[in-house]
Amino acid sequence: MTGVVDPPTVAVPPAAPPPRRRHTARWIAVVVLVVAAGLVAVLATRPPAAVVEVQSPLVGKSAPPVRGLTVDGKPFALSRPPGTYVVLNFFADWCEPCQTEGPELVRFAFEHQQTGDARMVSVVFDDSTSAARSYQATLGATWPTLADPHGTIALSYGVRAPPSTFLIAPDGRVVAYVVAPVTAADLDGLIARAKASGA
Amino acid sequence: MNGTLGHTGVLLGFAAAVVGVVVLLTALVRGRPGGLRAGRIYAPVILLGGVVAVVAMQRALVTHDFSLAYVADNNSRSTPLIYSITGMWSALAGSILLWGVILGIYVTGVVWRFRRRADDQLVAWATLVLYVVSAFFFGLMLGPADPFTHVSGAVPANGLGPNVLLQDNPLVLFHPPMLYLGLVGFTVPFAFAVASLVTGRVDEDWQGETRRWTLFAWTFLTIGIVLGAWWSYQVLGWGGFWAWDPVENASLMPWLVGTAYLHSVMVQQRRGLLRVWNLSLVIATFSLTILGTFLTRSGVIQSVHAFSTSSIGPLLLGFFGLVLAVGVGLIAWRGDRLRSPGGIDSAMSREGAFLANNLLFVLFAFVVLLGTVFPLLYEAVNSGSQVAVGAPYFNRLVIPLGLGLLFLMAVAPALPWRKSSAEVMRGRLAVPAAIGVLVVVGCVAGGITGVEPLLAFGLGAFAAASAGRALVLSVRGSWRAARAGGASPARATLAGWRGFVGRANGGMVVHIGVVLIAVGLTAATAFGQRGTVVLARGETGTFAGHTVEFVGTRVVRTPSHVSQQALLRVDGGAVFTPAISQFGNGTQPVGTPAIDSSLSSDVYLTINSIPSKGGAWTFGVVVQPMVMWLWVGGVLIVVGSILSAVPGRRRRPTDPVSTPVAAAAPPAPEPAPREPAVDREPVGAGEAP
Repeated sequence: MTGVVDPPTVAVPPAAPPPRRRHTARWIAVVVLVVAAGLVAVLATRPPAAVVEVQSPLVGKSAPPVRGLTVDGKPFALSRPPGTYVVLNFFADWCEPCQTEGPELVRFAFEHQQTGDARMVSVVFDDSTSAARSYQATLGATWPTLADPHGTIALSYGVRAPPSTFLIAPDGRVVAYVVAPVTAADLDGLIARAKASGA
Repeated sequence: MNGTLGHTGVLLGFAAAVVGVVVLLTALVRGRPGGLRAGRIYAPVILLGGVVAVVAMQRALVTHDFSLAYVADNNSRSTPLIYSITGMWSALAGSILLWGVILGIYVTGVVWRFRRRADDQLVAWATLVLYVVSAFFFGLMLGPADPFTHVSGAVPANGLGPNVLLQDNPLVLFHPPMLYLGLVGFTVPFAFAVASLVTGRVDEDWQGETRRWTLFAWTFLTIGIVLGAWWSYQVLGWGGFWAWDPVENASLMPWLVGTAYLHSVMVQQRRGLLRVWNLSLVIATFSLTILGTFLTRSGVIQSVHAFSTSSIGPLLLGFFGLVLAVGVGLIAWRGDRLRSPGGIDSAMSREGAFLANNLLFVLFAFVVLLGTVFPLLYEAVNSGSQVAVGAPYFNRLVIPLGLGLLFLMAVAPALPWRKSSAEVMRGRLAVPAAIGVLVVVGCVAGGITGVEPLLAFGLGAFAAASAGRALVLSVRGSWRAARAGGASPARATLAGWRGFVGRANGGMVVHIGVVLIAVGLTAATAFGQRGTVVLARGETGTFAGHTVEFVGTRVVRTPSHVSQQALLRVDGGAVFTPAISQFGNGTQPVGTPAIDSSLSSDVYLTINSIPSKGGAWTFGVVVQPMVMWLWVGGVLIVVGSILSAVPGRRRRPTDPVSTPVAAAAPPAPEPAPREPAVDREPVGAGEAP
């Protein structure tokens, strides 16, 4: 076949030299195969649904208002603009991935309490206020947790399932939306990226 | 019962596909025509298996048979009938079932269409490929995507119900099946491409066949994409119709490459050029279909459409690799020998324009592919850090490509085959170009600024005028030919309508539809305004020149959900009712927008927040001009596709309505007032072989 270069047989020279065939299609095909193999390799080694940011029409826009009663019954309203980075976390006590990220959020909140450049606000998503209150108490979460009984905050942020986490910049714009459990390091990375891009 | 029936159907389809592969392969290797003919029977059996499984699934959904895990997850006792039916494609396993049954329809269709040519090796190879693909998808339903798994433990008294976003609008009944008819349909051209590479036959004869199947699938994919955009506009509540979401991209990529093929195949049919290129496009289209399915169904990418994730990711990825390896490997093996002799004579020719069009479309698809997988690639290289590719990336790269395509759409229909001269082009394009310039001047006078919108409107008008000119010439040609043939004026007018039929003429109608979409898209994104109005009952507010009066509220209860509606009077006219609905089974509320639509502009209303005690409500208002043009353009594209599937006039020279070749252009004695070049122009109907 044309795949093999003919060995240089000097003994029996062809009557007329065959017309030289161009191998453009073959070379392009080989390049495409190599690139595709690389793509497949990358895709095959991706962990399923790691911390994944989602495109949302909200990203880059100003954050919808966050106000209402907390699970302890106190009124709370996030100032606009908030002045610091705000991690807005939607959770429920029945949601298992929320339980994996809970301790990370506590760590994040503690670390940034020292520096004062970021704070946590949680919003209960589709859960009873009492269950959410005891969940947060067990976790050791001392930041404001809004009850959101009618889901209006979740609705305005377009949240579909917990855990969902938004990062709001000091100027009040939403800069990231993550729909998976986050770690403190993830959040620090997102903040560093936001700072680098001038938010 | 339903589970057993369903399993039986899936198993039947799988077994038929596997046996069919073995029978055909044996017959092909041993060269037995009898075996090739015998191999046909497995196609309807695959279809039968799929239909049995679908009947079982629908029965289970409609009768709320919660013994099936799939039904328990995607249906509830309060789910209305229509959303019970659509439950079949609300999650992964059911979508694969839909895929399987549609594939069964296509396989059977192919075998039926070529029933008299079953001995032909090319047809047998194509059928073999279709069987392999069927075996894969039915195989998925036997393993990781089994739609008929029994619930573990006791049968629940009630199910979860479909995803709330999927039970809010009846479009869900049409959008996924249309999309799948499109995506799955690309299997057929792929099968024929593989078959012709294996047999070494790339004659233009089968290209005609492949083109027809591709056009069929492409039309459905177009409907699916437009319906999807419409659905997200009607349901998702942010006033947008396209978000560059991975699932949207997954359907757009095959569409782009398929569109490129539909154009370049004309070059092959007409001039015998671009053979290997066309095969590559067909293979790429199908590969992108599978890649898109992998990206959106495996959970590697999060998306608004990631309604389900499962373990079928590696299988789909492996299948993608196989498809690509076979397709590209065959091209590497055979490609150089199948290349067409000769090349394109001049860049300023119809085929030169098609080549440019192809490059732009393929680049477009590449841009979309890169934007879709870039976050994954980036993460692989810089482990641990993420990057998001958003609308700005796509817009920056896609807008110039789109403008380039509009320009080609304007120029190409007037270009003759082989080569052209500047005088001819001046003659043909003067009027369309003048219309484009007039539109730009009009827009500037009307206060529109910005280079991109002005270019889009100007080139859009240019392209639409160019397409309209081609249609006018074609209709006039038909009319004159009929008159010359002795028809009465009334009959000739009737014959004039034939000027819309055929590949090129239908294509021009499609072009006008595309221009409408491009103009609507530009206007809506460049000049849309969004904001909120805060109103207490009885108050009136204004936003972007529209007044909104908060008339009152209403609560609507149905078995499946409770809706809190607001009655808003827009511009003192009709009352619209955006709503927030709470579905049963305690999930979060879903907002339903209300839209005051007109040809010139849409006012899009949502409820953003309801005060817990009496007080002012916050409403989201989005005002976007010309959104309706998108949907009108979509309808035109479909109409044009159907017209272009009908054979044109010249395909039946014996047809009394038809005209001899020379008469397609106006005969010489007729005064051809402004455009002497028209006489030699290949107008619409003159496109056939």
